Amino acid sequence: MTGDPPPSSPHDPGAEHALRIERRWASVAVLIVIFLIVMAAVAGVHQATMPQLKLELVDPRTLHVSGEFIESNLGTAVEPDGSVTVRAIGQQYSFVPQCIVVPTDTVVHFRATSGDVVHGFLIDGTNLNTMLIPGFISTATARFSTPIESHMPCHEYCGVGHEGMWGKVKVIDKAAFEKLAADRRRLTCVD
Amino acid sequence: MSDETAALSPRDKWFRASVAITAGIAIVAAAVGFIWLPPFQAGARFQGVWNAICQAAGLAQPAPTAAEVVTAGYKTTGVVFTPGMFQGAGAESVGRGATLALRCTMCHGARGMSQANSPNLAGQYAAVVYKELRDYKSGARTSAIMQPLVVGLSDQDMRDLAAYYDYLPRPPAYHPASAGPPPEIVVSGATMRNIPPCAACHGGLDNKTGSPWLDGQPAPYIKAQLEAFKNGTRRNDISEQMRNVARNMTPDEIDAAARYYSSQPP
Ligand code: HEC
Ligand code: HEC
Ligand SMILES: [Cu+2]
Repeated sequence: MTGDPPPSSPHDPGAEHALRIERRWASVAVLIVIFLIVMAAVAGVHQATMPQLKLELVDPRTLHVSGEFIESNLGTAVEPDGSVTVRAIGQQYSFVPQCIVVPTDTVVHFRATSGDVVHGFLIDGTNLNTMLIPGFISTATARFSTPIESHMPCHEYCGVGHEGMWGKVKVIDKAAFEKLAADRRRLTCVD
Repeated sequence: MSDETAALSPRDKWFRASVAITAGIAIVAAAVGFIWLPPFQAGARFQGVWNAICQAAGLAQPAPTAAEVVTAGYKTTGVVFTPGMFQGAGAESVGRGATLALRCTMCHGARGMSQANSPNLAGQYAAVVYKELRDYKSGARTSAIMQPLVVGLSDQDMRDLAAYYDYLPRPPAYHPASAGPPPEIVVSGATMRNIPPCAACHGGLDNKTGSPWLDGQPAPYIKAQLEAFKNGTRRNDISEQMRNVARNMTPDEIDAAARYYSSQPP
């Protein structure tokens, strides 16, 4: 509009009409922008998957020999502060443990990594979704309110057996979990 | 009005003020992003300004050492595969291996082709022979027959034996059309039960390091090993990679795979 000649008179009815329409469109545009910002902020606060807190490294070739990812240490561990920690690995073409069990209404810390190539770690029906990258420990924190049985498909092509790679997640009632945890230090639901 | 050179000199008060404001914004923004906001993230603990800065900047941190590690009540494998670990095993190594292998012919055959139901070793990948021997020696894989035989073998002996068997011609994958189509479990797996195709690791589609060549192995041996993985009496596979497969197999699938892989040219 800047190139237009100035209206002949400020009271020109045509120019005034144009100005009104211009303002309306401007307010529609501003409302759209506000809506988008509020939407992003609400989603960011309530549904965000936050970036990982820390960068931790691990040697993917020796996972099975020493450290926290040896097979006997995988699964769900109860922490002194009442939360639980789930340690898992992804490898061609299965997750260990194949079935993860966690309690309801408890803070769950996931710590997972890969023993070979990049795999995906995603729990169906939740916003838990991360990548398992050899050499790095992926962490995530979650809380489940209702008992569910869900699946954990590997969502990153990892080789010719990729389509067969998935695990199970069972969220069970907190009391039932505590009973299971009484006599075992690492819990899984692999049968 | 000052001229351009004066405007870009620290003596100019507008210049000083604008630099100070820009620097101030940068510092406040960094403090908000690196120090103030991160502790609000679930699971975060504030452990000092320097730690917060390193964390937000993505510097690698050592994993927490305090957490206790539950060790297995049984032996697991200590073998670590590194790329190229069996490259350059020369004729000398093969020769030494051939001499050592004279003790093995009784069960594994004169040229690594077994006449009994012990496994063939001819053409078996060096990584596999070496790993299995080490696992017998450490007790990660148990066998009343094999364990006493490896007690006296040094690490170099095992590498030489591995080089020798790797050098021998392996039995071909013999699957004539007359034998019918290959079993589903071998070529497609059972995706609904977390079973990838056997061929994805054991050859045919791909070979994953450490996965043995199975073609031509005696059916009773294959079956016994699958059952041992399934019921947990064989636990030397790295991070349960083979146990996870066998655990979900049905007895029929075990039979079908054993029959298929045991096929040998007449
Ligand atoms: C008395 C018979 C006998 C002798 C002698 C013998 N083996 Fe074995 N070997 C077996 C049997 C049986 C098995 C299968 C054991 C099992 O179920 O774990 C086996 C398994 C193996 C395996 C594992 C194969 C695989 O595919 O997993 C290797 C490697 C091996 N033997 C190497 C040797 C070497 C090297 C020697 C000589 C130093 C030797 N064996 C001597 C009977 C024998
Ligand atoms: C993820 C890769 C993978 C898949 C898929 C897989 N295997 Fe294995 N398999 C292995 C590895 C690795 C070993 C060696 C374990 C060890 O370290 O001793 C093995 C060992 C075996 C053995 C023992 C052989 C010996 O000589 O010791 C048999 C038998 C076997 N697999 C059969 C199968 C069958 C049948 C299937 C398909 C249903 C299958 N595998 C699928 C990786 C795989
Ligand atoms: Cu995968």
